[in-house]
Amino acid sequence: MHDRKSFRLHLGLLCTAALGILSPPSAQSQSKNTEWPSYAADLAGTRYRPLDQINATNFSELEIAWRIKTDNFGDRPEYKLEGTPLVVNGVLYATAGSRRAIIALDPGTGELLWIHGEHEGKRGGAAPRQLSGRGLAYWSDGKEERILYVTPGYRLICLNAKNGVPVTSFGTGGVVDLKLDDDQDIFPDLTTGEIGIQSAPVVAGDTVIIGAAFREGMTPRSMRNNKGYVRGFDVRSGKRLWIFHTIPKKGELGYDTWDKGSAEYTGNTGVWTQITVDKELGLVYLPVESPTSDFYGGHRPGNNLFGESLVCVDLKTGQRKWHFQLVHHPLWDMDISSAPILADITVDGKQIKAVAQPSKQGFLYVFDRVTGNPVWPIPEKLVEVGNVPGETYSATQPIPSKPPAYSRNGVSLDDLIDFTPALHDRAKEIASKYHLGPVFTPPTVSKLEGPLGTLTIGTASGGTNWPGGSYDPETHIAYIYACNACVEPIGLVIAPKEVSDINYIAGTAGQEVSILRGPGENAGADSPMPPKKRSSSQYVPMNVDGLPLMKPPYGTISAISLDTGEILWQIAHGETPDVVRNYPALKGLNIPRTGQETYNVGTLVTKTLIIAGEGQITTTSDHPRGAMLRAYDKKTGKEVGAVYMPAPQTGSPMTFMHNGKQYIVVAVSGGPYSGEYIAYALPSESE
Amino acid sequence: MISLRAASAATLGCVLFAVCAFSAQEPSSSPPRSVWDGVYTEDQSKRGEPLYKKECAACHGDMLTGGESAPPLTGGAFLANWNGLTVGDLFDRIRKTMPQTAPGRLTRQQDADILAFLLSVNKFPSGKTELYRQSEMLKEIRFESKRPVEKK
Repeated sequence: MHDRKSFRLHLGLLCTAALGILSPPSAQSQSKNTEWPSYAADLAGTRYRPLDQINATNFSELEIAWRIKTDNFGDRPEYKLEGTPLVVNGVLYATAGSRRAIIALDPGTGELLWIHGEHEGKRGGAAPRQLSGRGLAYWSDGKEERILYVTPGYRLICLNAKNGVPVTSFGTGGVVDLKLDDDQDIFPDLTTGEIGIQSAPVVAGDTVIIGAAFREGMTPRSMRNNKGYVRGFDVRSGKRLWIFHTIPKKGELGYDTWDKGSAEYTGNTGVWTQITVDKELGLVYLPVESPTSDFYGGHRPGNNLFGESLVCVDLKTGQRKWHFQLVHHPLWDMDISSAPILADITVDGKQIKAVAQPSKQGFLYVFDRVTGNPVWPIPEKLVEVGNVPGETYSATQPIPSKPPAYSRNGVSLDDLIDFTPALHDRAKEIASKYHLGPVFTPPTVSKLEGPLGTLTIGTASGGTNWPGGSYDPETHIAYIYACNACVEPIGLVIAPKEVSDINYIAGTAGQEVSILRGPGENAGADSPMPPKKRSSSQYVPMNVDGLPLMKPPYGTISAISLDTGEILWQIAHGETPDVVRNYPALKGLNIPRTGQETYNVGTLVTKTLIIAGEGQITTTSDHPRGAMLRAYDKKTGKEVGAVYMPAPQTGSPMTFMHNGKQYIVVAVSGGPYSGEYIAYALPSESE
Repeated sequence: MISLRAASAATLGCVLFAVCAFSAQEPSSSPPRSVWDGVYTEDQSKRGEPLYKKECAACHGDMLTGGESAPPLTGGAFLANWNGLTVGDLFDRIRKTMPQTAPGRLTRQQDADILAFLLSVNKFPSGKTELYRQSEMLKEIRFESKRPVEKK
């Protein structure tokens, strides 16, 4: 059944045909490595372009070539613009605004060529993942050019890239309703049924691949939910080609890892982040998220395949080739959160077609991407078993022997802030209310007398999240940002029956139980009466006077050789936060740049540079309140330049050549600053 | 399906360029008050707490530490986001966009009470007068993450 309440808005072909901008101009044709044709630059997830017009000698001279606010691409401004645009055949395409509109721009001037928006009414308003999303996909057979994206209401839209008009031969009038033909009945109905996605579709050959996302999983209302299967569609017709059941059906491999029939009712387990494809091998790499209920698995005993697994499937059939479960019986929200990176490496003289998976838990898992065998051993190690009533635990978890963890993934007293003994003591006092331990220390029931929960890092928001890593295929070095100080207290409270049918959900003893929602989610569950209220003075902050609880560095970029499995260098990324620089008791102390505790920073690799923006606002003697887009020498990690942005980077930077000029485009937003794409280029006299 | 393909370039100009102004104002150079001057009352903060729980905690967390999709409302990142601006800028942001499912649904009084609660959790001192309900007046109160030296 098609959603008849939707209607579409086109402002297509607005002044562009006359200017001749839309037809792929032969004079502007560039070799592919000067364009940015898919979300991560290529299907290998590298975020790499071998461009060097912008380099160490001139990066700081960059100026704004054009900018575009996204306020009016929706009925309200957006303060969380996460998109990375594409540039193909002389046109820039991007998702924008709270409508998740698609815009086509002149890459050299920012002039709007066309816009497309879908008005989905209640279905869009009820979507679990709203706002502008992270991007779109481009396809061409050399004649036709198409743009594909998924609306907040989970409908796959196919547009003519030349004018933004839906391709009527695709699906029904240019639309495939992704809530249909999914080997499950989306409940409770097509309008409000919880499923959607915010990542960019992937197109490989003539197949477009779509995953699924849900609302945040810390406080689910039920152990039952829709399932996040992955499907491949024909890019010409919109016909479904295949489906992969991320929760196996009866008779399929992995079904027996769900005890007590829990595969039947457990949901989620989607692929909400970017998918990677090796077209040559015809293989697709699926990074799968957690099953229903991030922190409590008592209703899904067993290892729960393919939850938190990297799964390789056939591009043409969707048949599983191999898989590796990174976390057995997931309890920490260690969704595989970013694109797997394809890397052709040489280890001990042997050439290996590898796939490297960054993670929230700070491990880079490296496999032979043909066989699924780990490149370096990933032995099962004993981990702490918890005592939450009704929970089942995996006694072991796989822990890579190489490369070493590139960000913190456990909390000990030695990790706490220690600029001064007094600050360390106050941090210890906060930490004393929690259970501490290394990676895979399980959640606890939250108790007023303590522990309030397990103090974790490298779980829900630590390490590397959706922006993922980047990779230089020439040097075989991965460059990966990680939050090294994003602590996450995980406590469990008994869920009142009016709130959830799950035994335990995330919460804090003494606090009212709240259902956590995703952005804009339209589910306004009334909270039950709290068991006992505390006053605001009893809130346990995860900071000391605003200072991060953990020692610096708070956020890092690591260069990791995939030939040797070694970390070549690691730097703190981001100006020292104002609260640290201005803290009276720290005056006179020599504190090296600390980086910032933000988890959503993406990196870009060029011929010579690593480029990444800051995720926080600072105000320094060098610049007014704002954030810096920084460039580092990729051989050494030394900073070689920086340029001012009015707001933090919230979407990963990309680069391309247009009419002989290199541009860098980055999405910024946050706090008081609504979403904006900014394009930087060198002044003409500097080229 | 409604198609507006015939829109003119002039219309496009209006759609695109006329509306992109950044609303946050430059704070005045010597404002009379800051968040360190007791700009809300304890009672107001207490009124704001249950409102926060009902309207905000679902995304920003019951401990104000944020969620996967919503920023924290306490700690360094929050303070840095607003440091150097005014309480009015923060109030406007709330008025304009929150709660995300129905921006503007809450009254000015409710928004002010929630803001008072945020200030209290962030350890800014309470005082004898309630937080204003009008953003123009709130823009006279500087948001400073660092306690001024001359203040207690």
